[in-house]
Amino acid sequence: MIVIEVLAGGVRGGTAILYAALGETLAERAGIINLGTEGSMLAGALTAYAITAETGSPWAGVVTGALAGALLAAVHVFMVVARGANQLATGLVVLFLGGGLTAMFGAAYVGRSITPFRPYAIPLLSDIPGLGPVLFDHDPLVYLSYLLAPALWWLLFRSRWGLIVRGAGEHPAALSAYGHSPKLVRYLAVIGGGLLTGIGGAHLSTAYANAWFENMTTGRGFIAVALVIFAAWHPLRAVGGAYLFGAALALSPALQARGYGFNQFVLDALPYLVTIAALIVLGRRRINAAPEDLSRVFDLTPSR
Amino acid sequence: MSVAAETRVRRGPAPALLAVRGLTCRFGDVVANDGIDFEVAAGEVHAVLGENGAGKSTLMKLIYGVYRPDAGEFDVDGVPTVIRSPAAARAAGIGMVFQDLRLVPAFTVAENIGLALPMRGPLLGRRALSRRIVEASERYGLPVEPDALVRHLSIGERQRVEILKVLMSGARLLILDEPTSVLAPQEVDALFVAMRALRTAGLSLVVITHKLNEARAIADRVTVLRGGRVVLRNADPAGFSDAELVEAMVGQTVPPLPRDRAGSDGGVAPAVRLAGVRAAGDRGHTALHDVDLDIRPGELLGVAGVAGSGQRELCEVILGLRRVTAGTVHLGGAELHAQPRQAIAAGAVGVPEDPVTDAVVPGLTVLEHLALGRAAGGGKRVGVDWRAVAAQAERLDGTARLRMAPRHRVLGELSGGNIQRVVLTRALGEPAAVVVAAYPSRGLDIATTRRTQELLIEQRDAGAAVLVVSEDLDELLSISDRIAVLHDGHLAGAVRPEETDRYAIGRLMLGGRAA
Amino acid sequence: MTDTQVTVPDVRPQIVDNRQKQVLGWVVAVAGAPVIFGAFVAVKGVNPFTVYADMLTSLADPVQGQAVLVRAAVLLLAGLAVAVPARAGLLNVGGEGQIVIGAVSAAGVGLIADQRLPGGLVLVLMVLAAMAGGAAWAGLAAGLRLTVKVNEAISTLLLNFVAIDIMLGLIYDPWKDASGFGQPSSRPLADTARLPLFTTGGTLNAGIVLALLALVGVWAALRYTTWGFRLRVVGGNPEAARRAGMRVGPLLLSAMLVGGALAGLAGLVHFAGTEFKLRPGMTTNFGYIGFLASWLAMHRPLRVGLAAVLLAAIAMGGDSLQIDAGLPAASLNVLMAVVLLVVLGSRLAPRRKS
Repeated sequence: MIVIEVLAGGVRGGTAILYAALGETLAERAGIINLGTEGSMLAGALTAYAITAETGSPWAGVVTGALAGALLAAVHVFMVVARGANQLATGLVVLFLGGGLTAMFGAAYVGRSITPFRPYAIPLLSDIPGLGPVLFDHDPLVYLSYLLAPALWWLLFRSRWGLIVRGAGEHPAALSAYGHSPKLVRYLAVIGGGLLTGIGGAHLSTAYANAWFENMTTGRGFIAVALVIFAAWHPLRAVGGAYLFGAALALSPALQARGYGFNQFVLDALPYLVTIAALIVLGRRRINAAPEDLSRVFDLTPSR
Repeated sequence: MSVAAETRVRRGPAPALLAVRGLTCRFGDVVANDGIDFEVAAGEVHAVLGENGAGKSTLMKLIYGVYRPDAGEFDVDGVPTVIRSPAAARAAGIGMVFQDLRLVPAFTVAENIGLALPMRGPLLGRRALSRRIVEASERYGLPVEPDALVRHLSIGERQRVEILKVLMSGARLLILDEPTSVLAPQEVDALFVAMRALRTAGLSLVVITHKLNEARAIADRVTVLRGGRVVLRNADPAGFSDAELVEAMVGQTVPPLPRDRAGSDGGVAPAVRLAGVRAAGDRGHTALHDVDLDIRPGELLGVAGVAGSGQRELCEVILGLRRVTAGTVHLGGAELHAQPRQAIAAGAVGVPEDPVTDAVVPGLTVLEHLALGRAAGGGKRVGVDWRAVAAQAERLDGTARLRMAPRHRVLGELSGGNIQRVVLTRALGEPAAVVVAAYPSRGLDIATTRRTQELLIEQRDAGAAVLVVSEDLDELLSISDRIAVLHDGHLAGAVRPEETDRYAIGRLMLGGRAA
Repeated sequence: MTDTQVTVPDVRPQIVDNRQKQVLGWVVAVAGAPVIFGAFVAVKGVNPFTVYADMLTSLADPVQGQAVLVRAAVLLLAGLAVAVPARAGLLNVGGEGQIVIGAVSAAGVGLIADQRLPGGLVLVLMVLAAMAGGAAWAGLAAGLRLTVKVNEAISTLLLNFVAIDIMLGLIYDPWKDASGFGQPSSRPLADTARLPLFTTGGTLNAGIVLALLALVGVWAALRYTTWGFRLRVVGGNPEAARRAGMRVGPLLLSAMLVGGALAGLAGLVHFAGTEFKLRPGMTTNFGYIGFLASWLAMHRPLRVGLAAVLLAAIAMGGDSLQIDAGLPAASLNVLMAVVLLVVLGSRLAPRRKS
């Protein structure tokens, strides 16, 4: 059943992207784009792997990985909010920082083995034909992400805190006029986003690949950034997008394992082409969906 | 006059809700507020009058805690109070209705109010919030729809939401910053009715304005600021003539414009002709409906209308900046194909509605701005001829006499008024065939406003077809040969100033028929 | 125009105003960043002073010095590829992809022609193909922006990955070098079609000349031509440009095409000067580092040159680091990132005044 294999692989492989995309959604809803997502993922992946290797507990790894992702995000938001640095440039710098630090400190962990997260088939639910193996035979971090996406939706669109977060992304002046601090909100949102992104990285090293190697995220952080736009800054739509991209990543090995010879790079390019196509087709609506203050980052970049 | 004025000062109806003493605020070398004493009684409407730059907004921002004073004290209900943040001001019962309305367009009315209310924790309680909004809107006579998206509301409706929001967050003293600048006369009346109701309910209101007739219509007392100082305090407006109040505001008397109208002879072919013009606005709606309009050379046409009635689109259509979806635009007899270059070649110049967004390149100097049109033109030269630009700047400045900033100054560092002078000098400093000026005197002091009006009239007398959009009906009535009124994208009528009054125009602005 | 008596105003006073602060920022960055990086190195259990001593000694070595200039040439072009569109207010995050496409185009021409035509002619054709390829790849993003309003920062970023996949797709299959010992790569370029070296046995190639020519050309075009002035206007406020009668769309397109062509040229210089064949990972983030070089230099061409040399020197120090201290070469990304963070952060944004 190649379809089920690809779909299950899509969920498994898409989970890391999903965490990062949810984190990025939170940050961008508050008005800050973080191109350093890839760096936060790498930091999360290495830290989680190292701590898992040292303590034997993948949960300890995930928690510390999340903190590492948050730490890098904190660098980004500090530069942007407190120092007025350009968001896109700073994001790239944070990416290099994360890549460099993990290369520097990760060399010792290349080839170390760990006790990773194990898949846990949920009784009854995993027996549902089709759906069961696709959705309910995974590691705990996948299940956690099932809860997280709706939780983030509720937080952003139904709670008062979400109102404040979205207010910071739409119209910070309206927020500060009523005693909220857009800066504080942005700090919290970006750092919270970094936490989630770090979990995404941790999933990659302690549940998906069960290994650490330099630059192991191979562009997943960028896919997550693209996905946020693709999903029009909406957490629930990001779920579908993440699995779609995950499935694209899972399709080529699945086909090749069955002896279909073809150039896998066509498939590798697919997520990016799909996102560009989505931007073209939905262009106008997407632009309207963007948080207003965030669109200014793209719109008129001072070019002094 | 102040000695004489003191005798005519009326005591407040009740002890002061708010009193400030010796308030001083400096920005660098500029003293924006200089030892200001000011008080508001409970249950009064107090107007703060002054020209642009008189320090009105600074004073209000000090009271609301946005700025911190360099010196001075606040008493609230007679108790010394420290106000160093908007939160502290709100805690003291002071609320501010900003001119630019601090609402999030992407949020509903309820969400905007929820953002403003002092609540804690993650829960919003949407249903309870909607109920409270409906209750409050009935109590204060400010009807709003909690679930409507603010993006879809008119300016007047947004203002109601803003006021309700401030009231619901517990304000006893409301500061309204130029609340009428975006409203039609009848909407202004509705606002005044609501304000009187609030006063009756025991609330205090401070209105910042530069319009005398409004201060007279609504205020129990007025305080006049000039150059950062109080020149008239707690005065009963009924006790002063217009001339006295203007003199207090300006420090000098301004003679009225000469009202000689060169008879516009009907024989000349129109310089601007719009036939059945339809155009879409930025949000995709039809912003102009079948507009037929001629402007002859030597005619000054005023355009009145509630904000957002199609003024912007009308100007842009004539300047070739916006495509028409039906009908034709002719400039000087040739059809215009929505190309700014073509309009410029036909001798059209524009003063945009919002110069900072539409005309100013922040990093460029005054001189470079004057070179804009030149560099845009034909690509004969590889480089820009700065010597010719400098000579042209000299000429323009000499003709316009608008006291333009020095030519090496960077526009991004200039104030709004100085930016407007640059834009006006560039547009009006040399004769043009067609002048399209949107809100030309916005942000200018009275003397410069006067010079701008003279320049517009000079352009007309030199044979230009001039179109002026303004929110100031008095300005339009005094300079126009003819006034066209826009309502919701329709040309609701065209009237001659000598045959009409502001209320007749107001009826047209709101969609009524010409009387 | 510089020798007239008429008082021509200083064209860029705001830069003058900020100059002191900027110089300070550079000094702090240059002095502070090594301290921070040294702390990381020390945590790693390596003596930072030894590391810096090794790096400096290695830079003094003429072989390394040449390597720095070789790398700086590519970074300079990659930086200019960002700086020109930035003048027009466009964010070209796609240098990486444009470099790859430039290299792929050059390689394509080389594969077809290097055995049949004289080397010099092949080189000229490769230069043209690389610049056209890079420009086309950037033009794609510009076209999307102008027609369907897809933001160029996002589209150029996404197109980077597509470009890399195109290159990988080519060298894993149709262009694969059969004698490549199983490593996927294209056939090496014939010796005659390579960029000439300054010294036999050295590494410094004619690429640095191309880069310097491009630098002078871009500098002069931005400073003295009407086109440069128009780009500043469009970059500062496109609506103002439109209202002044400028053709905003073609201007934006031209800026992006020039940027893409410069990045394509960077791809050629790297391919025909250093690599000679396409292989996975050949561009090693030149596009992104060039982006940062441009930001470091505030998009001013001459300073992009300085930034390119600085960043190239840091990167080349990485080799000695790997050999002498046993740290991975990518560790130097940390030093680069810290330098950039300090510089970006020491520049207070005076943009919005309330």
